[in-house]
Amino acid sequence: MKRRTLIAATAATAATAALAAAPLARGRAAAPATVHWWYHFDNPRASPAALVAAFEAANPGIRIMAESIPWGGGADYDNRLYTALVSGGGPDCAMVKLENLGRLMEMQALEDLGPMIDAWSGKADINPDIWRINTAPTGVRYYLPVQYVMLYLYVRRDWLDAAHLAPPASFPEFLHAAQAMTAKGHWGFGLRGASGGQDFWATFVLGGGAKLAKGGLVTPAAIAADAWFIDLFRKWKVCPPSAPTDGFLQTINNMKAGVTGMTIHHIGSANALVAALGDRITAVPVPRGPQGTGWATFGDGSNAIFAGSRNKEAAWRWLSFLSTAKNNVAFNLLTGQVTVTTSGAAHWTAEPKRFVEATLASLPLAHVFPAVPATAEFVSTVWPQMTQKALLGEITPAAMMQSFEKLYFG
Amino acid sequence: MRSAAAGRPASAPHAPLLAIPSARALTPWALLAPALVATSAVVFLPVLVTLWMSLHRFVLFEPRTTPFVGLANYASVIADPTFWASLARSLVWIVGGVSLQFSLGFAAALLLNRRFAWRGLARALIVIPWALPSVIIGLIWTWMLDFNLGVINTLLVRLDLFAHPIAWLAQPDTAMIAVILALTWQGFPFFAVTLLAGLQGIPREHYEAASIDGAGAFGAFRHVTLPGLAPVMATALLLRMIWVANSLDLIFIMTGGGPGTATETLPLYAFLKAWTGLDYGYGSALAVMLTLLLLAVVAIYTLRDSG
Repeated sequence: MKRRTLIAATAATAATAALAAAPLARGRAAAPATVHWWYHFDNPRASPAALVAAFEAANPGIRIMAESIPWGGGADYDNRLYTALVSGGGPDCAMVKLENLGRLMEMQALEDLGPMIDAWSGKADINPDIWRINTAPTGVRYYLPVQYVMLYLYVRRDWLDAAHLAPPASFPEFLHAAQAMTAKGHWGFGLRGASGGQDFWATFVLGGGAKLAKGGLVTPAAIAADAWFIDLFRKWKVCPPSAPTDGFLQTINNMKAGVTGMTIHHIGSANALVAALGDRITAVPVPRGPQGTGWATFGDGSNAIFAGSRNKEAAWRWLSFLSTAKNNVAFNLLTGQVTVTTSGAAHWTAEPKRFVEATLASLPLAHVFPAVPATAEFVSTVWPQMTQKALLGEITPAAMMQSFEKLYFG
Repeated sequence: MRSAAAGRPASAPHAPLLAIPSARALTPWALLAPALVATSAVVFLPVLVTLWMSLHRFVLFEPRTTPFVGLANYASVIADPTFWASLARSLVWIVGGVSLQFSLGFAAALLLNRRFAWRGLARALIVIPWALPSVIIGLIWTWMLDFNLGVINTLLVRLDLFAHPIAWLAQPDTAMIAVILALTWQGFPFFAVTLLAGLQGIPREHYEAASIDGAGAFGAFRHVTLPGLAPVMATALLLRMIWVANSLDLIFIMTGGGPGTATETLPLYAFLKAWTGLDYGYGSALAVMLTLLLLAVVAIYTLRDSG
């Protein structure tokens, strides 16, 4: 009897406690979910505060903690992200790039967004080519595209006119134009030999016969394409002598200062170049290789949700908000890149039309480096070191390509 | 002066081993505690973590597989030709950078020790390069040395000293010279200020005695100034050598270790391995090797000093 009384009393106490706790639990559920989102904008003064405010007004149950993370050439951002994820203190979601996809997959850090993307009304407003490029090699969709750029060729229109040449569409035409523009004190092509220049290399070497597949970097055609690329500097001397260590600032400033006649970059530089050169600067897709193939690097920008997040649904609502129509246009006005939405692109006025047209015309040539862990090291260290050595004649183009083959395929 | 032990009566009982220390005995520890805690947190703990990582295969993007590998990372370092090449470049960087800084700093200190108009202003201005962050100095020199737009090339060409501009940072034989020049500009004020303080500590009577003994300017410099400054010089050289050996920011900003690997010193190699290659195990082993090499230099200095 005593035992029954004790059980009854315990049950009654538990029931009372549960009832008493119910309002607290409801209160907790009603508390805003906080989504930690890491981002980087090239312009540090650009702030997503207005987008955050608009989202929070439409989603009172969700609070966005947007944290600007220093870029540091990419390595700072990536390392902070990896370290935070490994230590368990990472954000719920963050801006990411395809060159990190291999490492993030290796870490099993990413959430599969496929089911959420399929159920999302904004899916059809994003170009199928952009979806294709942002899908992992395994077919899983970890990334939600939010911005993009296409690498294309900036050309001094007035220099071409003076030489009675059309914008180059093939490699021989490119070399001919570069030679015609090279004279005392200025050069036809502003080659970027420092980190980031792999996009220049890819245009001429991966677009010229090499393949990022086992054995594909050391075929005779691949080595010949690389030798042709190196000869732009060594044999034909159509690049400034500083090219081996020239980075983004040097190549763009040389264009602005009238030192070089062509270089490769994306629409993010268009307004600065127009401010310096006006109508004398234009852009065209990069030249195609001997077989008519071509490689224009797709400069991606996406958002991802991390597997360790406890606010995945709220994070998805925020990320899908950023990739939707006018929100995505507003976002890209902050980042200086191009909207991924078809509806937004139709009314894009942030840059002169000729640069938007060059971007869209480059999409059929769009490629990215493979989403494997080696890509990040290739981009940051191996490519610049080996290319600089080849440009300076310390190693042969064949040795350069063998080092890349070894990195990617062992 | 009698020692405490000598003053203790022979028949006095020994103090118990676990006796509670007096408040007076604890006071120094209490005062030192915050500094000890802070030093442990920001120095000793990271050092221990670095040692731990150097004994493991620790690749940041493979967090589930960090096996203990013993000294395998160190064996790989010894067999790594890039390690030896970067060590050799480090020696050039240290010897070149520190000797130039020392020479320029010593000359500046001798000059600033003389009386002349606006000496106070000159003493204040000379500290500016030392006060600037390395990143700023790296960017300043990168643009001054720029092939197309840099002021140095413009001056050299306009003064007809060179027919064409020079790509200082893009050629292996000039890149190391260029970064050492930037380092010299940054570091010579340290020697100037330190040696100036040393010069002012040499009693004037020593110079008067040397003069009475017939010493000229060079004799006074050799027999009074140099011996008087020797301890300061040794300490300043040791400190600066360690700082320069560890520093990588200037090179990272100006060349990133290039062209190729022409300016890749040992700390930069370790940094790139860990920071961009994400191989923290190997990068830690490289860092520990550098620390051991520097400790050997410190040990020689300490032994010489105590001897």
